[in-house]
Amino acid sequence: MTARAGEISPDQTSDPKNWTNRLRGRIEGLVPPGQALPDKQPVYVASWIYVFGVLTLTSLVVVIASGCVLAMGGSAWWHVSSLGHYVNSVHLWSVEMTFGFMVVHLWGKFWMAAWRGKRALTWITGVLLFGISIGTSFTGFLSQSNFDSQWIGGQAKDGLNSIGAGAFFNVLNPGQMLMWHIVLLPLAVGALTLIHIILVRRHGVVPPLDAELEG
Amino acid sequence: MINGLSSVAGAPGKYIAWGVIQISVTNLTIICVMIVLFILALVVPFPTHDDQQPKQEGRSQ
Repeated sequence: MTARAGEISPDQTSDPKNWTNRLRGRIEGLVPPGQALPDKQPVYVASWIYVFGVLTLTSLVVVIASGCVLAMGGSAWWHVSSLGHYVNSVHLWSVEMTFGFMVVHLWGKFWMAAWRGKRALTWITGVLLFGISIGTSFTGFLSQSNFDSQWIGGQAKDGLNSIGAGAFFNVLNPGQMLMWHIVLLPLAVGALTLIHIILVRRHGVVPPLDAELEG
Repeated sequence: MINGLSSVAGAPGKYIAWGVIQISVTNLTIICVMIVLFILALVVPFPTHDDQQPKQEGRSQ
């Protein structure tokens, strides 16, 4: 690409003291060239067990999209509107699908020891994602604004109070639980998902155990 | 039909008790379906285009 008159070409701006240049270099170096969205995969990836990671991600997109629509209507919308009830059901069932696919993905990765080949951080971020996703769904059950959420909150408070968490994480406070459910925990899930995917693209998909033994 | 579904949803769940373990029939069914799905994912052949897909080595950096 040639620079127009008066412009500085990208080659002339590689000042290492410039934090923008350093940040650009870090972002460009996150994954090997061409691996951010590869169109070819190693031959061992041709197995249905490798599909469950992307199925989890796809259903998570539906969870987030339906959650955004629910946020526009408010937490009581689904009680008074048939459209709200439908979107709420889409939100619930996409969560069910996310967890179902996530658990099969977890089983597959566990039995192929997916932490091999310097992939420990990929495994750890996956475990954290699993735990935080459970917390996100539990705060969702507390945000239903019905007797079910009241009962769940009443049961959960004793366990959380027994470990001292009740002082700052009050499951009987529906406003606080709604904020955790729609702001804090989704941010954590989104950030960890991004890191998890970058790590998968950085290190490549883990080969099956027998493929490594043969190699 | 809505009334029929509501009566099913409002009915008490069926549970299986085995010592200290107690699980609803619905949850047990879902777990069994997931295990079947896992086994199928391992044994069902994945459609491939062998002639178009050159063999690549896995990366580890």
